[in-house]
Amino acid sequence: MPFISRTFIKVGMIWFALSLIAGLLIEINAAALPALFPLFWHMLMVGWITQIIFGVSMWMFPGRTREEGFKPQKWGWFTFIFLNMGLLFRIIAEPQVLRSTSQIWKLLLVGSAVSQLVAGVTYLIEMWPRILSKEQQRKRRKEMRNN
Amino acid sequence: MPTISRWMIRFSMIYFLVGMIIGAALLMLKAYPMYPALWVALPIHIEVMIFGWIIQFTLGTGYWILPRFIKGNPRGSRILAYSMIGCLNLGIALIIVDTFLHSDIFLGFLGRTLEAVSVILFISLHWDRIATHRN
Repeated sequence: MPFISRTFIKVGMIWFALSLIAGLLIEINAAALPALFPLFWHMLMVGWITQIIFGVSMWMFPGRTREEGFKPQKWGWFTFIFLNMGLLFRIIAEPQVLRSTSQIWKLLLVGSAVSQLVAGVTYLIEMWPRILSKEQQRKRRKEMRNN
Repeated sequence: MPTISRWMIRFSMIYFLVGMIIGAALLMLKAYPMYPALWVALPIHIEVMIFGWIIQFTLGTGYWILPRFIKGNPRGSRILAYSMIGCLNLGIALIIVDTFLHSDIFLGFLGRTLEAVSVILFISLHWDRIATHRN
């Protein structure tokens, strides 16, 4: 399993655990943190489920580069950075937006939205060309060998 | 990767992008509530991300990756598989339309029924593929 997939899956597991803690806090009304309900759902669906889909698909889908490192896997790493940065920004900013009128939290929330959207776009840039049939895969391999 | 999986995964990625755009717009709305009418898109965001992206992606990948039949068509009836894609995507589309129209003609009910048919087709296509060929 490539390092990038392992990173996606392990970080996904951390979000999974955090989402369940948030879920527990909601159930026992222990935290006076506003916006905990949408944060719980997004840690679960974006942080865990979407992230594990990203990690496993980057590993299992055809056309994967065997080279490790940031440069050969740049779109994958951009996806990882923007997705997690966006989610983290949201967790910091969303409760604050409800509590305070400061512009910084609003801008951070906008930054979170843009960052997660960019992660979606970079994932598609990486994965769309890798949706290949066996024949297309063979052709691609031949072309890569010839280059 | 078989054609059916490629279609489902491509569809799921399109839904993913649409869902992310809607989600980003709604999150910005929390910071700057300039167009509160946009909140009507929240159920569409949920529908598109859960059924369009996550469920469609996993069904498409399952169709590709689960063990194949040794005899006959390796992944079962293609007609049923295409019907599975058709029902799922038509179901999602009807639910999205119903969110906007709030129709009295049970569009939402029809949409959910089509999604359920699609899932039943997936189960019937894959039940016997969940097997080992070692024994």
